[in-house]
Amino acid sequence: MPDEKVLERKGFLGLVTWAIGGLISLGLGIPAISYLIGPSLQKPEGQDWIRLGSSKKVEFGKPTLFKTTIQRQTGWIVNDEEVSAYIYTEGGREFIAFSNICSHLSCRVRWIDDQDQFFCPCHNAVFDRNGLVVSGPPPRPLDRYQVKIEDDQIYIQGV
Amino acid sequence: MVVKLTDWLDERVGWRSIWDNVFKRKIPYVNWLYTLGSATLLAVINQGVTGILLTIYYVPTPDHAYDSVQYITTQVPAGWMIRGLHHWGASAMVVLSFLHMLRVIFLGSYKYPREVTWFTGVFLFLTTIGFGFTGYLLPWDQKAYWATTVGTQIVAVTPLVGNWLLRVVLGGAELSPLTLTRFYGTHVWILPAALLLLLGIHLYLVISIGISEMPKQRE
Repeated sequence: MPDEKVLERKGFLGLVTWAIGGLISLGLGIPAISYLIGPSLQKPEGQDWIRLGSSKKVEFGKPTLFKTTIQRQTGWIVNDEEVSAYIYTEGGREFIAFSNICSHLSCRVRWIDDQDQFFCPCHNAVFDRNGLVVSGPPPRPLDRYQVKIEDDQIYIQGV
Repeated sequence: MVVKLTDWLDERVGWRSIWDNVFKRKIPYVNWLYTLGSATLLAVINQGVTGILLTIYYVPTPDHAYDSVQYITTQVPAGWMIRGLHHWGASAMVVLSFLHMLRVIFLGSYKYPREVTWFTGVFLFLTTIGFGFTGYLLPWDQKAYWATTVGTQIVAVTPLVGNWLLRVVLGGAELSPLTLTRFYGTHVWILPAALLLLLGIHLYLVISIGISEMPKQRE
């Protein structure tokens, strides 16, 4: 058998050493990568329904501000976070939930009743009762949340 | 292609002769006990890799130390494994280096011309003990706290300067946040620097002098 390569003892042991070394590296390397990137890939928060309060407090035709505090966990640290939203309804059936954060530079907008508009004091942005931009620099309407009513309680989702 | 590249690099860097000197050097006929040093080195590499990974999430303050360790163990993917490898690897490093030391003593490998190898080895062992002692506090649980409270008292029995030394070790009159941060700094900066330096000398000497032969029985 002149053509057959003879794998002598030394070469074989060298190969086995490389193989074991490779296995150990893989066995540590793959968990190490998942360890490093794992928390970065966790699904974003904002999947829970947040209870704001009774839907009876919402005046028809007038956006009403609701505030509540939720707990958010980042890593091992739990923080209290204030959530606020304007709830608007025409006739008490269909409800809309707006973020009160200006879509321009994240200042807080407020509802001004006698002018029938949302106003942001930072750059004089104005939104109408549907959250659409009337004037000023905002690039898009006020963000909306998913909203549902259960037992007269308002819940929003997507914060 | 690969051969071309390695040749190109060898011409400029000369890695092949280094490789041959390290891995293809001639050694006398010895037994398996002579692999204990390499086994210790593997434990050291394991501690280095897993230790670096643990610092990605661990925070050495009383507020966060325990919680961040719990977070690593229960929340981070494979975190239990990385921490486990570091935890058990620490014991392995102490045991293996101790056995390695026994081998060197019983087979007389510390003698001329290997005294410097031996002394660096002794200091490497002390460094390892230091790693174990400082690392034990870092999880900041009850066991860590009280073990360190008791363990640090040992330095207080030093004649004359004992109490002063204890204050230096603790960073104050008692075990506090300052103790945690200085143990952490020692564990991840001072001791690894010492280890790297000593290990560099140790391995250089092992390779340049060559390992000792087994003692021969009288005929």
